[in-house]
Amino acid sequence: MILGKLALGAAGTVVLAGAWMANEGLVRVSVYEMPDARQPKLVNVIVPATLVPAVLHFVPDSALHGALEQARPWMPAAQAACEELAKLPDTELFEVRDNGEHVRIATRDGLLVIDVVSPRETVYVSFPLRTAWKVAREIQERGPSS
Amino acid sequence: MKRIALLLALVFAVAGIASAQQTTAERWLHVRVECTDARGDTVRVNVPLSLAEKVLPAINHDRLHNGKVTFDGRMEGVDLRAVLQAVRDSRDGEFVTVQSRDNDVRVAKQDGNLIVHVRDNKGSKDGRVEVRVPMSVVNALLSTSGGNELDLVAGIRALAAHGDAELVSVKDNRNTVRVWVDSKNTSD
Repeated sequence: MILGKLALGAAGTVVLAGAWMANEGLVRVSVYEMPDARQPKLVNVIVPATLVPAVLHFVPDSALHGALEQARPWMPAAQAACEELAKLPDTELFEVRDNGEHVRIATRDGLLVIDVVSPRETVYVSFPLRTAWKVAREIQERGPSS
Repeated sequence: MKRIALLLALVFAVAGIASAQQTTAERWLHVRVECTDARGDTVRVNVPLSLAEKVLPAINHDRLHNGKVTFDGRMEGVDLRAVLQAVRDSRDGEFVTVQSRDNDVRVAKQDGNLIVHVRDNKGSKDGRVEVRVPMSVVNALLSTSGGNELDLVAGIRALAAHGDAELVSVKDNRNTVRVWVDSKNTSD
């Protein structure tokens, strides 16, 4: 009986955690390399978006080798951009076709989607605008003194 | 009961109209660069003006602060602000006309627009540059009290308030460039 209650509690917690994570969306990074046709390499990373700002919170500045320091001045602009883009309909913001390479940046269903297709590799990155906003806020709030 | 239904219908109608106006009021800046050779390289940029309006004041870097860009009093010996003010305060007409073997250049104020036309007579015979800036945008750029700065955010607001407009058109034998503003979120 006690085991049953524990199992029910654990299952409920998992379902709630899953629902919370699913609500925030996913960060997806896919890289498909074709150095030669015989050995294509595929890297596919899918992370719950909720985890990204949370993990970033615990990463010390020193581990990022000053990257945060350089990024910080641009974060208010990044936050403003995320806020505005989230209000707008899905759109293709930027597209370049150059010598067989194709780069595309678009918004789709609350996600910022970056596609790079070249003869040697294909890269696909997508992340929720809301997550980008939170990451920007996290970086902004982590002032030099913290 | 009927009154409540009528009131609700009215509220929804007003909300719908307000929402529709908000949607249609969005203005987009488009840039399209197309290479006419066999490779067919293209660049397409679609930026909502509201995005630029919100992002620019948040950038404080180099010469850009609070949506205003500071420039040296004189650029290549030209006092840009003085030139723009002079154009703003003058009547419609042609200010500069240069006809040479290499280029034809024409700078004019016409129908509320500042117009710059350059035609290449040397390299590609059909090369041309056409720039058309609404004077309302020029006025807005100059609206800042700083002597050597331009208010970009005010300029963008003025551009958003202006109707559909083709701002820049460049064509030569290899590329075409277009910059324009309209209410569509695609450049097709």
